[in-house]
Amino acid sequence: MNVLETRDLHHDFSGLKVLFGVNLQVREGERHAVIGPNGAGKTTLFNTITGTYHPSGGDVFYKEKKITGYKPHELVRIGIGRSFQITSTFTRLTAFENIRLAILSKHGIRFNLFRNVNKMKEVTEETEAMLERVNLIGERDIPAGMLSYGKSRALEISMAMATDPELVLLDEFAAGMSRDETHNAVELIRKMTTGKTVVIIEHDMDVVFSLADKITVLHYGKILATGTPDEIRRNPDVKDAYLGDLEV
Amino acid sequence: MMNKTMKMVFWIVLLLILVFYPRLFGIYYTNLFVSFAVFAVFAVSLNMLLGYTGLLSFGHAMFFGTGGYATALALKHIQGMTVLPAVGIGFLAAMILALVLCPLVVRVSGTAFAMLHLAFGQLMYVLALKFRNITGGEDGIGNFPIPDLNFFGVISIGMKGNPVNFYYLALVILGVSLWLMWFLTKTPFGQIQTGIRDNAKRIDYLGYKVPQTKAVVYVISGAFAGIAGSVYGLFHNLVSADGSLGILVSFVPITAVMVGGMGSFFGPIWGTAIFQIIEEIVLRFTDRVELVMGLMLILIIMFAPRGFTGLVNTLKMKWQAYAAVRSGMEKKT
Repeated sequence: MNVLETRDLHHDFSGLKVLFGVNLQVREGERHAVIGPNGAGKTTLFNTITGTYHPSGGDVFYKEKKITGYKPHELVRIGIGRSFQITSTFTRLTAFENIRLAILSKHGIRFNLFRNVNKMKEVTEETEAMLERVNLIGERDIPAGMLSYGKSRALEISMAMATDPELVLLDEFAAGMSRDETHNAVELIRKMTTGKTVVIIEHDMDVVFSLADKITVLHYGKILATGTPDEIRRNPDVKDAYLGDLEV
Repeated sequence: MMNKTMKMVFWIVLLLILVFYPRLFGIYYTNLFVSFAVFAVFAVSLNMLLGYTGLLSFGHAMFFGTGGYATALALKHIQGMTVLPAVGIGFLAAMILALVLCPLVVRVSGTAFAMLHLAFGQLMYVLALKFRNITGGEDGIGNFPIPDLNFFGVISIGMKGNPVNFYYLALVILGVSLWLMWFLTKTPFGQIQTGIRDNAKRIDYLGYKVPQTKAVVYVISGAFAGIAGSVYGLFHNLVSADGSLGILVSFVPITAVMVGGMGSFFGPIWGTAIFQIIEEIVLRFTDRVELVMGLMLILIIMFAPRGFTGLVNTLKMKWQAYAAVRSGMEKKT
């Protein structure tokens, strides 16, 4: 079954066409990477899927259900989570409080005005377990705005994961990371996304080829090729357009 | 570090001081304290928007004034109206005003939010001046009846012309209001609120509805400002457009929040206290209170942008760092 599918997706920013009929198909349990040169429309594709923009044409389907024009909070509630290329955390809240907000949402605790959140034992335990998993337990009470870059990226990813989505979209999670940090992040994602469907946007080809089991190449708003990493590596069009002589 | 018993002792001592305050300090300072408590609640209610949700309102006086007018009108026109329901009516009236406005105002933030409130605040002010036959125009509503507080016909406590009794009533109403708002910041909802302040987009992407959450905060904030205004009206036995709806009334809690520090719950209370104390001292020397206040505000914004609580925290951190260095040196020697 296709967990995520876009049919003839178009988007333009007041005249500037960015997506020209993208037909993306992501199967269940897949780790699907979307690659392409700068300006190919990768982040726009994410934003039209996750409700930041309303697509100017075409539709988005989640498990065969049309979700075009769903608002972000509606998408989260049906099981879609995303992380951001530019770290988007609650800078003045602690790492613990950041994750806790995601955990509260997962449990549907939204308009609770009658209970002290610090006394919700299950939520606290679950939040701490999550911090443990992503090695942030030592930074539990540090405001997110004061974490190191690598740590705040880890927090970013774990917030997307903490709402327990079935489909996760990760936008350049390794951007700006050092080699070691990237390696750790790849391991983290491998660990956290078992059994989930993942779509990633990534520039780092090492990351893409080590993590993804399917790759879609986006080029000027169109899909140039889709296939397994091996197929993509051998594809002459992709070589011309993007990979060049890169040894991967 | 304050442990549990220390905290208990602190609260008991505070409670004892508050209970015996009128006996200890006399009528003048008792009245001053009521006025402080009113503006502390008003400032904390504004801080719900400003400090906890990141929304600056230049028209918070409209809730304050609506609460005051509603209470005064209820006591003046409804036969057999008693004090507590009248305060409840003030609370409800401000809440209804906030409910009416919230569909519009939760869709904007930043400058637009501030300016929209300036406009609505002034609109309420002008309405109060123009609907002379209801609001009394410039004169406002004065000398309305304040019935005795009656508990099931068993105990009757005189209110009008009895500032000490009124002090206790105000203390209970405002104390409960403060506690409710404090508790709100500890609930999951309060967490979402601070999340919106830091990053509304991410709150959306965690599955929360941002406008609806803002609306609830807005209504709560307005309603508690209404309670403060209602008690203020009862306290002076007068509500007037300039005294409780004017633009200057809107600025009182804003400056209190700035001076006290908007990051914390107790900041606005400190800010109100600092303003009142300084006003008291300045008044002994000169009538130009605003001049001194303005100067102080400038200095605070320049040198302590996070207000009094921010200043205290910085000093605390410096002291801890200093203490750590010192203990390290002692270990070496």
